[in-house]
Amino acid sequence: MSEPGVVLESQALAKHYAVSTGFLKPRALARALDGVSFTLQAGQTLAVVGESGCGKSTLARQLTMIEAPTSGALLLAHSGEERADVTHADRALKRQLRQQVQMVFQNPFASLNPRKKILHALEEPLAINTDLGEAARGERARAMMARVGLRPEHDARYPHMFSGGQRQRIAIARALMLRPKIVVLDEPVSALDVSIQAQVLNLLMDLQDETQVAYVFISHNLAVVELIADEVLVMYLGKVVEQAPKRTLFAAPRHPYTRALLASTPRIDASARRQRQVLSGELPSPLSPPSGCAFHQRCPFAVERCRVEVPVLEDLGLGQRVACHRVHEIG
Amino acid sequence: MALLEVKDLGVDFGAHRAVDNVSLHVDAGEVLGIVGESGSGKSVTALALMGLIDEPGRVHAQRLMFDGRDLLAMPVNERRGLLGRDIAMIFQDPMASLNPCFTVEFQLVETLRIHEGGSRKALRARALELLKQVEIPDAERRLAAYPHQLSGGMSQRVMVAMAIACHPRLLIADEPTTALDVTIQAQMLALLLRLQRGTDMALVLITHDLGVVAEVAQRVLVMYAGQVVETARVPELFEAPRHPYTEALLAALPEHNIGQRRLRSMGGVVPGAFDRPSGCLLAPRCRYVQPRCHDERPALDGDIGAQARCFYPLTRVTA
Repeated sequence: MSEPGVVLESQALAKHYAVSTGFLKPRALARALDGVSFTLQAGQTLAVVGESGCGKSTLARQLTMIEAPTSGALLLAHSGEERADVTHADRALKRQLRQQVQMVFQNPFASLNPRKKILHALEEPLAINTDLGEAARGERARAMMARVGLRPEHDARYPHMFSGGQRQRIAIARALMLRPKIVVLDEPVSALDVSIQAQVLNLLMDLQDETQVAYVFISHNLAVVELIADEVLVMYLGKVVEQAPKRTLFAAPRHPYTRALLASTPRIDASARRQRQVLSGELPSPLSPPSGCAFHQRCPFAVERCRVEVPVLEDLGLGQRVACHRVHEIG
Repeated sequence: MALLEVKDLGVDFGAHRAVDNVSLHVDAGEVLGIVGESGSGKSVTALALMGLIDEPGRVHAQRLMFDGRDLLAMPVNERRGLLGRDIAMIFQDPMASLNPCFTVEFQLVETLRIHEGGSRKALRARALELLKQVEIPDAERRLAAYPHQLSGGMSQRVMVAMAIACHPRLLIADEPTTALDVTIQAQMLALLLRLQRGTDMALVLITHDLGVVAEVAQRVLVMYAGQVVETARVPELFEAPRHPYTEALLAALPEHNIGQRRLRSMGGVVPGAFDRPSGCLLAPRCRYVQPRCHDERPALDGDIGAQARCFYPLTRVTA
């Protein structure tokens, strides 16, 4: 971690849940997140892509310290160039570190307290974490409201008086109140209409340009990812199957799952459409993952080796890493 | 002759007009896409066609013809027999559309019994055949499953099986893939198209996803605030939109802004029930707005194949 500007580093982060399978039956182990490593730099956006159940949201819960990971390390930029390991931090340090990582949730209708006025909701992070007086808090909150495009008279309104797009602006404003270095965005625009989605994405990009905040952008919408990301992590059943800079990933995807995802995305321009290759089957249960490569049952290129041996991430150069046995054969 | 012909369909909820003079027609074997944002009235249009608007909602229309029969003049019982059999519908959320208390077999057989009848054994055999038709693996076992034991994709397949059980002539699919993952969405669209082509069924696909429409539909209706603002055939609508709203919608898509640091977004929001402008409904958000647009409401104008509700439709091909 000598690289400057790195605000977050995840080292083989894993989270396993013990899941009840029924009365008097032994508990099963769900490997929701299984050894995920990456680094994130200030002002950059890392997109995490995958289908339901691939571990995207579990990753978000580890990054925001809502849960403690089962194993692995999570290093966060602390003060200056110093970094602190979250997994071994004491309460006081964790409290400080939590201010560095904030979160915006998918559903803006569920993530705001319906009984709190907007100004109050925005002030709350400051009231809890800083010793600013009421006047100073209100000033900071009003400045942030103006920054995200809310009018001053909105401050005394309740969440139900706002549209979905406005609520998502409020949620973004709240996440930025403590001037965090990292914001984890869990499907921030997937509940919004196309025209509103564009407004919110523009806001997110402008805020990043101004404050150099780093985003972890969780999404299943590849068109949005292609626009906003710098680096992309493709996950399948708790593991990273491909990681690459955006341009590389969209120009030359190497993992069969990444290719299938890209080919499955409906495109407007006929020229942008890829050879449609409909994957058969669905994501297997994380309680009983397949042997070998987790993707082998749905993979059109699977061979005997894929059924037996778990592939590891292999560095292909230029920042592209792929976990596939046949990556060199399938070109 | 069109299989379904609708003229000036309106749906009112009190003083609020959710659907405003919508006219559309669908031919046998055709795929018609209806696109629009939340509150544009696309789902309410579909529900009105299916007779599913409850009080206090009021449905009125100039003409509602299906296969040469007038749905408005038809006795209620006759209409009920037609809906669900000849016109079927699938909904957005498969988990919420199946009854959690009954097995897949019970719910499939119920549909078949009401509309077609037959012995228990025959009905069960037909239910099994339907599950196989929608490519559910291990169909025999899935018959006994309850909805909570199925994934979202599987539930939606069961919904499709139920909808096609009585060989409908028209299938209305309201956001059939929105709740599904990308790879499952691709499977579902392929399935719907295969069924549609195999039986010459007409398909009305309601979605907010322009990509889906571009790949699947032959003709599109663009809706905004309860009105149809543009109709066109498929490549044309995307290559040369004539209504400013369609153009702005396409320009705001992330895939049309790759490599830029800002999306070309449209300001403002869709007008709600109480803030409808007096002139053109898009006027406050339109970048080409003229004085006339604030005072008068434009009518849907143009050839039968390509219409736009605009005083100044775009003629050039926009980049």
